[in-house]
Amino acid sequence: MSRPAESRKDTVKEEGGVLLEVDGLQVGYRTGRGFMRAVDGVSFSLGKGRSLGLVGESGCGKTTVGMALLRLLPPNGEVRGGRILFEGEDLLRKGEEEMRRIRWNRIAMIFQAAMNALNPVQRVQDQIAEAILTHRVSLSRKEAFDQVEGLFRLVNLPVERMRDYPHQYSGGMKQRAIIAMALACSPELIIADEPTTALDVIVQHQILEETRNLQEELGISIIFISHDISIVADVCHEIGVMYAGKLVEYGSREEVFGDPRHFYTRALLASFPTLTGEKRDLVPIPGETPSLINPPQGCRFCDRCPEAGNRCRLQVPDWLILSPTHRVLCDRCQG
Amino acid sequence: MDLWKFIVRRLIQVVVIFFVILTALFLLFRLAPGDPVERMVDPTMTPEDAQRLVKVLGLHEPLHTQYGVYLKNFVQGRFGTSFHYGQPVEDIIWEKLPNTILLFTTAIILSALTGIALGKIASWRKGSRVDTWLTIGSLATHTVFLPWLALILIWIFAYRLGWFPITGMISEEVWLDPDAGIWVKTLDVAHHMVLPLGTLFLIHFGSTLLVMRSSMLETLKEDYILTARAKGLTEKAIRNRHAAKNAALPVVTGVGLSLAFSINGGALTETVFTWPGIGRELVFAVSQSDYPLAQAAFLLIALVVLVSNVIVDVLYAYLDPRIRY
Amino acid sequence: MGRNAIDRTEVEYRISRLHWLDHFREGWSIFIKNPLGKIGLGLLVLFGLMAACSYIPPLLDPMYRPMVGVDPEIASSVGPSLRHWLGTDFMGRDILSQLLAGARVAFMVGVSAAFMTVVLGTAIGMSAGYMGKSLDTLLMRLADMVMVMPTLLFVLMVSALFGQLDIWVIVLIIGLFRWPGVSRVIRAQTLSLKQRPFVEAARVAGAGHLRIIFRHIMPNVLPLAFLYMTFRVTSAITIEAALAFLGFGDPGTVSWGMMLQWVWRTGHMFKAPYWLLPPGICISLITLSFYMVGRAMDEVLDPRLRKEEEAS
Repeated sequence: MSRPAESRKDTVKEEGGVLLEVDGLQVGYRTGRGFMRAVDGVSFSLGKGRSLGLVGESGCGKTTVGMALLRLLPPNGEVRGGRILFEGEDLLRKGEEEMRRIRWNRIAMIFQAAMNALNPVQRVQDQIAEAILTHRVSLSRKEAFDQVEGLFRLVNLPVERMRDYPHQYSGGMKQRAIIAMALACSPELIIADEPTTALDVIVQHQILEETRNLQEELGISIIFISHDISIVADVCHEIGVMYAGKLVEYGSREEVFGDPRHFYTRALLASFPTLTGEKRDLVPIPGETPSLINPPQGCRFCDRCPEAGNRCRLQVPDWLILSPTHRVLCDRCQG
Repeated sequence: MDLWKFIVRRLIQVVVIFFVILTALFLLFRLAPGDPVERMVDPTMTPEDAQRLVKVLGLHEPLHTQYGVYLKNFVQGRFGTSFHYGQPVEDIIWEKLPNTILLFTTAIILSALTGIALGKIASWRKGSRVDTWLTIGSLATHTVFLPWLALILIWIFAYRLGWFPITGMISEEVWLDPDAGIWVKTLDVAHHMVLPLGTLFLIHFGSTLLVMRSSMLETLKEDYILTARAKGLTEKAIRNRHAAKNAALPVVTGVGLSLAFSINGGALTETVFTWPGIGRELVFAVSQSDYPLAQAAFLLIALVVLVSNVIVDVLYAYLDPRIRY
Repeated sequence: MGRNAIDRTEVEYRISRLHWLDHFREGWSIFIKNPLGKIGLGLLVLFGLMAACSYIPPLLDPMYRPMVGVDPEIASSVGPSLRHWLGTDFMGRDILSQLLAGARVAFMVGVSAAFMTVVLGTAIGMSAGYMGKSLDTLLMRLADMVMVMPTLLFVLMVSALFGQLDIWVIVLIIGLFRWPGVSRVIRAQTLSLKQRPFVEAARVAGAGHLRIIFRHIMPNVLPLAFLYMTFRVTSAITIEAALAFLGFGDPGTVSWGMMLQWVWRTGHMFKAPYWLLPPGICISLITLSFYMVGRAMDEVLDPRLRKEEEAS
């Protein structure tokens, strides 16, 4: 297949081949004020057993990407272009019935524990068993509960709490339960949407560790969505930085962290405090995100970019290929 | 389990509240203009009987002694003698209580279940014609004046069409017939119950429907619905298993809050349809100045409302694990 | 955050920031766009006109007086005619003038009782919410007890003891009984307002409790209080009507409930639809219109209920 070089960066992944390929995805929301282009031409691919971190501030479109993958957009959401190839099949072309079989079974989702992601009037074990029984119809309830028990052990949850209700769990336990539920059908891909936000730091760290271990053990691909780039660096092989609906930098974790090129990425890294290393001033990023209903003509970051030039405002920049795995959406980011 | 503790706690509250009502009624009776003796003693009684009654009820004693006597009598179930019937009040009200409970409970349960079921459907098809008609219908029936609705129903279905009897709970012929079996009798009661039940049902199902509908719409925005959808459940499963159970909770609360209002309606319905229940006895007793009967009927109705409240609260606690655990 | 959490914050923010006139204007535009609001208000205006016009027929001719008007030619219930647009009741009195007078009574009863209920409920709710602790518990226990009482039946009992009740006594009792519902809501609102930054700021600036209550909390609580007043009006009207229907109303007042009582007790139920239908329709419609107005107001106060256009 011939494809413009800038949109198809990563060739064969290190293990097992390509699991997911997103190509020119365009998603938006119909609002009273117009069509809001939340995701405007995003492309990346993910290999089997690999993890990708999607980072960006609120409203940059990362959650929308996650939702679009499962076709879980709200009623006013609309996919306007692109393809989502999951094991070679375009998810955007599938009917609702087919999607229902794919959901959770092959692609699962981990939500924030702080959300009301668990049904308050249903026991935790029932909710997890429900996921199992929906996709493995031949199993009996007892077998499903046995599996739930196994999952509990896997995520370090006390088995005697299986019959409890969600409100009886602490924040960390709820998050683990949500993770257990996501693993219930042994999916190939898990999308984790801010899974550690609103947890205290220690628990956060534990969960990230456990997530990483699980991922390596079970060989599941993960897309980790977060606004916190430091978390993502811990867990993910590749990192994609998003801004205002566009992917602005993409590379392996070493490349993005060690050699951030896009000014937004640099600003993101500079605005996070570190315990080690030299003392720096925290640098807030001035300005506001551009309107997504009438996006600017040129680079979307130019209003806040310290190096913005005239060309930046007039034309959307091309992808700059820095290495076979590292690319950045900018003309002036040579080094 | 905590549920029992909860029930016990609520029952104690009921006793306390009932006590307060009892006392309030006592004070009201003594404070009203006129002679308390006259009120409790049937004018047609012989002087000796009257004297005996006065002694039993302690009507000439100082206030606090009267109060003690009053409470003692209440606990022993003695409310005096009805002027109109000439019988002890207790006999009358215990006879009428089941009729009220039959009508009232059936109406509440039926209208709640229907409201929940239809409200669910209305929320599904929000904006469709079904929804619009259901909403309009609920609004219309909910705001109709109950006695008037009763009259209209009687006029159309009993008078004009002759499908149902105009008044009463039973047909004498059926019940006096020695050969009539239990089925025939039950059917007869049911036949008489249709219109009063229909009246109460129409008035009440609308509000449960509207509450359920808006509750469903709110619930469907919750995060766990998104989870359910992500799990690959069918829309039907999501609606019934996840949304409806949560959405029904405010409906239960609503039913509980409106119980006092409902019993007003129950009394009105009984009066218009001459259904021999306590509500009607109260109205009748008041109109006849039959104070002993009126007082007892009122207390019993208050008790019914209190106990119903407890039942609804317990039901809610059963349905919502966040309360129990 | 779930959408619900975001919307809740928005409600509180809106209340605290705008001047009340802006509030009102904005609220009005939302209210008038709502079909329920339009129809409800229209109906209320209609009933208001009826009430206002109730003085006219007796001025035209003494036989149109609702209670005591006597038509020299008619002494029984007769159907509609040019002389009597809605016919006459069993004593030959004009039904239309009774209907108009009933509108006046309905407004009087409804608004007075509701006003009383809301004043009481707001005062109690604010006190309980603001003062907290034992006062709060005491008041809420009291509210629980009063809420359990069936108002209609209680008025019946009072009537049994005190004889025929004057309309204003009825209004008073109704007003005294329906406050728990209002107070609960006001209390909840007060509790949440108490935590708001602007109240904190006032306290830091040295404002006394009374000042805080009247200047800061009350204005934000009033719209809610008004909303609940509309619902209370309907229940007040209905209770008075039911009382009159049963025969315990004020015999000197012509209300719609009284008219129904006459139809029923004189056995004209099946014979005189022109007499049976109008009062019942009026009671039902006025209840409906206040309810509609209340729902439209609800939408004004709670942005969550408005048509959603934004994406999350």
